[in-house]
Amino acid sequence: MAVQVKKVLRPPPQITSWRSGLAIIAGLWVTTRHLIANLFGFIRGRQDFTVYYPEQRFLHAPALRGMPVLVQMENGRERCVACGLCEWACPTSCICIFPAETDSEVERYPEIFDIDMTRCMFCGLCEEACPEEAIVMSRQIEISTYSRGGSLWHKEDLLVPESRLRTRIDFLRSQYGR
Amino acid sequence: MENIVQIVVDGRTIAAPEGVPLLQAMLDAGIDVPHYCYHPKLSIDGSCRLCAVKIEGMPKLQIACNTQVRAGMLVHTDDEEAAQTRRGVLELLLLNHPLDCPICDKAGECWLQNYSVRFGSRRGRSVMPRRKLGKRLDIGERMLLDQERCILCRRCVRFCREITKTGELLIFNRGHRSVLDIGDSRLDNPYSMCTADICPVGALETRDFHHRLRVWFFTQTASVCPGCSNGCNIMVDECYGQIWRLFPRRNDAVNDTWMCDSGRLGYRFVNRPRLRHPLINESGAPSAATWSEALERAAGGLIRVRDTWGGSAIGALISPHLTTEENFRFGELLRALGAEKLAMAVPRGAADNFLIKAEKAANARGVRELGLVSGEDDGLNSLLQSVRAGRIKALYVCGEDLLRVIGAEQTAALLQPLEFVAVQTLRQIPEYARAAVAFPATSFAEKNGVFVNHAGRAQRIAVAVDPPPGWMSDGEIFTQLLNRIESRAERFSPEAVWSQIAAGNPRFAGLSLDRLGTLGAPLVDPENIGPQTVHTAPS
Repeated sequence: MAVQVKKVLRPPPQITSWRSGLAIIAGLWVTTRHLIANLFGFIRGRQDFTVYYPEQRFLHAPALRGMPVLVQMENGRERCVACGLCEWACPTSCICIFPAETDSEVERYPEIFDIDMTRCMFCGLCEEACPEEAIVMSRQIEISTYSRGGSLWHKEDLLVPESRLRTRIDFLRSQYGR
Repeated sequence: MENIVQIVVDGRTIAAPEGVPLLQAMLDAGIDVPHYCYHPKLSIDGSCRLCAVKIEGMPKLQIACNTQVRAGMLVHTDDEEAAQTRRGVLELLLLNHPLDCPICDKAGECWLQNYSVRFGSRRGRSVMPRRKLGKRLDIGERMLLDQERCILCRRCVRFCREITKTGELLIFNRGHRSVLDIGDSRLDNPYSMCTADICPVGALETRDFHHRLRVWFFTQTASVCPGCSNGCNIMVDECYGQIWRLFPRRNDAVNDTWMCDSGRLGYRFVNRPRLRHPLINESGAPSAATWSEALERAAGGLIRVRDTWGGSAIGALISPHLTTEENFRFGELLRALGAEKLAMAVPRGAADNFLIKAEKAANARGVRELGLVSGEDDGLNSLLQSVRAGRIKALYVCGEDLLRVIGAEQTAALLQPLEFVAVQTLRQIPEYARAAVAFPATSFAEKNGVFVNHAGRAQRIAVAVDPPPGWMSDGEIFTQLLNRIESRAERFSPEAVWSQIAAGNPRFAGLSLDRLGTLGAPLVDPENIGPQTVHTAPS
């Protein structure tokens, strides 16, 4: 079949009213006002509110949902017992757990605990489902990698000592009334 | 003759035979009354007290399992008094239950979880510490016991006493100190893992399924156990493309609600490293080939032998593990080639007088009913003699049973002098290296079809694990070979082949796949066609 050209008629641009012109001027005025305030604000003692990232870091509020991590107890073991509830709760199916048996009292631990961070959407349902406070949303937000394989986080990479997650765990207890 | 009477439950009139347990009558009518200790295949114990219902005219609540149906009973299950009793019973059961659901294998299919959510109160009032008892106790070769989780329903005790008649499990002490344990002997009977099925909580666990995947991730498929010719009805649990466990499905005509341990553990061959592509042997060592190459070579080899020595020089070993449909197609293929010597090697093993049968193959009866083999030994010795005498030049071997029946060395020696050998095998076996073509076989979990058990009952199996894309099942291989030999272009469809069997063989007459359903149906006895018992699915 021969290629045919069909001319599409576009409606000519219409200026519906003079109000749109006013809106442009109003927008420009807002921008200019901020520019002047930031340029000369220091005269009236105004502070910078930007952070010189990555030399400086912002301390996020405990409510921030960063990357999900596994809580590491003081004896070095994970708190997770591989019950599978986070895997079940996860709407994007980014968690994959294979349980195994240990001789310790908890009987069960995750032999494999993988989180596919290309799929995680930071909803925090895993944390909410966890009966052991073993998976929590950390403040870690720097999770870019050089390859797709680097986005698959294994158990060893996910373990974070409990002391560093204290604020989030306390926040969770206040939120869910645990 | 049973006397059917009418009773009224919650304003609904139901009909039930007089004298059956009231609980069973209500369950059959679809009324979901909670219960732990009642089991339709065990005696009545009445120890859990959960099925208490109000019956008008009775002074107190009655447990429905130990009350017999009488005409005109007026029963209330939704009564406030009954609901309060259920809440109380559940609270008492949970007094000492460890609530270690995150590490319990039963979580997700636990009756204590389900009923606590539906009928229990959400809060425990006890401030006393829970009982500390044995956990993960080694009570048998295949079983573990967690005494803390036990709710003392005594189903397992009754199972060991009434079904296996071995009596290993017992309740020790009385009242609040009662504890489940083994007596003098360990729980090693051949049906021991059934106790884990009937345990309503996670007190009895199988070692095989201990701390493995969660039950809610499984896809369940109704199938038939391939372990022996009894054909116990099972469910297959699949996840991540492999089988994780088998457990029995109720069929009163075959296995009630039980299955043997070796059958239950017999799924592992499906997950083991398997032959996943055809092999062809051109230069003395087998090498991987594509499906069409292998089919061309197999068809070419069979046709060459037939044209040189005639069809009678082709022998075939039929597998009792393939479905009836596939073996029917194999029969057509062999007829098209003119093969005369057909045989079947059926591995044999231990048997008992309950479920375990000596023939360790699911569909040996099906092959015999199709008329493919005959004789006491299914034609095996006659075939072996012909091969050794050099009258057979080409052999088509399905399955690996030859190794189990005549031994590995004998098999290798048997295949060595043959002109052409084609095999269908689950694994790559060194004894089959001589074969010019080796096709990967399909296990029972990867195909649809019908097995006929030792008593002549046709039962359906279904795909539980999806085979890889481009895969050819055994029936498809036979059909493709037939296409190449007879210049046809057909595909293998188990349903179409089954209707062909049902139309042509009087033993299978009228047995449509719908008629077989999930519970199967006995084959037709052409000389004695009478009313046949149709077992309905339990509610």
